[in-house]
Amino acid sequence: MNALPRLLLATALATCPGIFPAAVLAEDLIIGFTLDADTLDPANHRKRETETIIRNIYDGLLTRDANMLVVPEIAESMTQVSATEYDFKIRSGIKFHDGTMLTAEDVKFTLDRITVEGAMGGQTSPRQGLMGPVASVEVTAADTVRITLKEPWPILPAMLPNQQIVSKAYVEKVGNEGLATMENGTGPFKLVEWRKGDAVILERFDDYYGGATDIAPVGKACVDRVIFKIIPESASRVAALLAGEVQIINELPAFSMAQVAANDGTQVMTVNGTRSFFIAMNMEGEAFDDIKVRQAAAMSIDKDLIIDKILAGTASPIDGILSPDAFGASELPKAGYDLEKAKALLVEAGFPDGIDVTMDTEGAFKDTAEAVASMLTKAGIRTTVVVGEGAQLSDKWRTKGAPKSGDMYFTSWGNGSLDPFDIFTPTHRTNDRGNSAGYANPALDALLDAAAVELDVEKRRAMYREAELMINADQPYVYLWVPQDIYGVSKRVTGWQPSADSRINLHDACLN
Amino acid sequence: MSFGKLLERIIQLIPVLLGVSLIVFVMLALTPGDPVQIMVGEQSITPEQEAELRRDLGLDKPMVERFFIFLGNAAQFDFGQSYYHGRPVSAVIAERLPATIELSLVALIVALVTAIPLGVLAAIRKNSVLDRLATVGSLLGVSLPGFWFGILLIMLFSVHLQILPVSGRIGYASEVPTVSGFLLIDTLLAGDVRAFGEALRYLILPAITLGLPMTAILMRVTRTSMLEVMRQDYITFAEAKGLPRRRVLFRHALKNALIPTVSVAAIEMGSLLGGNMIVETVFGWPGLGRLVVESIFLRNYPLVQAAVLLYAVTYVLLNFIADILYTVLNPRVKL
Repeated sequence: MNALPRLLLATALATCPGIFPAAVLAEDLIIGFTLDADTLDPANHRKRETETIIRNIYDGLLTRDANMLVVPEIAESMTQVSATEYDFKIRSGIKFHDGTMLTAEDVKFTLDRITVEGAMGGQTSPRQGLMGPVASVEVTAADTVRITLKEPWPILPAMLPNQQIVSKAYVEKVGNEGLATMENGTGPFKLVEWRKGDAVILERFDDYYGGATDIAPVGKACVDRVIFKIIPESASRVAALLAGEVQIINELPAFSMAQVAANDGTQVMTVNGTRSFFIAMNMEGEAFDDIKVRQAAAMSIDKDLIIDKILAGTASPIDGILSPDAFGASELPKAGYDLEKAKALLVEAGFPDGIDVTMDTEGAFKDTAEAVASMLTKAGIRTTVVVGEGAQLSDKWRTKGAPKSGDMYFTSWGNGSLDPFDIFTPTHRTNDRGNSAGYANPALDALLDAAAVELDVEKRRAMYREAELMINADQPYVYLWVPQDIYGVSKRVTGWQPSADSRINLHDACLN
Repeated sequence: MSFGKLLERIIQLIPVLLGVSLIVFVMLALTPGDPVQIMVGEQSITPEQEAELRRDLGLDKPMVERFFIFLGNAAQFDFGQSYYHGRPVSAVIAERLPATIELSLVALIVALVTAIPLGVLAAIRKNSVLDRLATVGSLLGVSLPGFWFGILLIMLFSVHLQILPVSGRIGYASEVPTVSGFLLIDTLLAGDVRAFGEALRYLILPAITLGLPMTAILMRVTRTSMLEVMRQDYITFAEAKGLPRRRVLFRHALKNALIPTVSVAAIEMGSLLGGNMIVETVFGWPGLGRLVVESIFLRNYPLVQAAVLLYAVTYVLLNFIADILYTVLNPRVKL
């Protein structure tokens, strides 16, 4: 036998799966996940995907249950002492992964690290903005920590699940750079190996305190190991699920739902998302400064048809900025699809021949934007879709002092806390960062400012209802829909359900 | 090849690297998109906090000053901190580079092993069915989008036949101590034949997808140059002497016909290293290409600058290697 055929045969044998089966442990729960973590340091990132991975390793003072209710986790209880003071009693018996006990000092250290300028070796945590107006964090008793605010900020409890508690001694030992790749959390899983760009391999932490008592079951995690396997391409993620290589995939494309549902052994799971989609109409421009033109745009879009045909029924229509699940959301008057009325409004506005506009969007939304554009065009708002890159578009449309240059912008804004504060204010307050429409309404600004610090829950809810009615009438944006988050899940997985904040909490997940 | 020539080449690298640094820096600076805004995303932030973040990233300084700071640091191999990873850029790149090199080398081997025999066969059986099939095949190979071809392979071999994995580099039960970062080498160093076989299985589909366009190009080059050589007088003379055909083909013709193939392969290797982000994305391959593309979208300036410099150095070195190979294969040429 010649050398070449021998080599080829040897290669074939070496690669034959029958002879060298891939070694898989029985209790590996593998998640086909879109993006790798940037870092494992809970205080040094701003990405949702990074947080999803980290939150299986680290626990927070507070967390959220599957219905998005905020419940204590490392804290045993929370007491609001005054408008600006909150006391957190720390649960006893919580161990870090290195076996040391968690103390109130660790909580103070963690929160100081996030809120104090330059606390991370001269650098300030990029998560500082998520903690609002925190003035100080003090240990007031052996098991109690007090957070004092500079001004009332009622959404502090809603924002605290975003921060996870680190060990003071460990951070002092490994430094900020060490914490980027190593961990010492108190969460249900501990890090085995981080294969950068490929996988984050975690194993059950057997000394876990059990997690939030309000979220059953309380106790150790069910599976031995959890692996976040990074598969950025959605077609490959679906293939990995169908091939049985992974048991849960996130961001299942709507057009693959039928395939996953029809496959033996896999199913589709959905949850209402928290991201509102809308079209900003540039009110600093020539046509859209007229409310009639904006109303015409809203009336010419048949949202139900797009949700049904393009989004496979996986979105809820909205008539204001808030998701139906958000605090303060309520039933609002609908613009309603009415092509004739839209045309008439354009004529009334002084555009009997219609208008020519462009609509910016990102590549991922091109199909939907094209469908919207064709509907607008039928009404006389002749729309050309211009696909741009995310960073370039946000640079063009974010408020920076100068008037904006585009006509329309098909975009979205996330609302992970489901509190109106972090979606309503940035997108609608005069000159706020995400106010792409260039909307300016002093009455609304005053209302939003007051609602942000209002402590009476019912009063606050009513204020946001009033704010929603104002924007519903002024229509600076065409409010479109809130898409569901779609997951492909193996039927072997039990005890897990998707969460509206996109967090994949695997503490309760089991594998049959 | 004298030491002087080598030194000359290394000195030639300096203006190339300076030019590349300047171009990348200016292009990134001119591209719309503010790293701070992208990093903050949709969260609320006060103007003071934003200014603080800008200062931390070193973006508060004027562009020219930033460029010279970058150059000064780069001269000492310090490429700064990645905005997103909380670690030095060099460490982040070093983690991802071996996967890219390993995949590219295997793709190169796949391409050479397939393209040379096919090209030779197509040339010596010119206008035969095999030649035409090879021509059509190479046209397809160049024109098939890697993204589509990769997904097709996954659907066939991973979903339907279930004999090869969809994505990743090695299974999660395999723990291979990192020595070189190349799994095929590290598994052998660890004496773990099972893990070696597994790593090879994970490599097959991405390597074929990545190697396909190169296979097509090399096959065309080999075929053309083989045809040309076969027309030379010395081949006719060798045949007239009554030498066996095999000997004429492989000893006399192929050696000369391979000269352009080797040069093209060495240069194409550069594009394999730089242009495999699509294959890395489709197969979840934890390489540098994917990291760089993600970093461009996030305007992670330090990482992009360092990676592009690395690509430039690699290209120059590969060109250099191509030149050396050329002189080895064709002693008439001197560097």
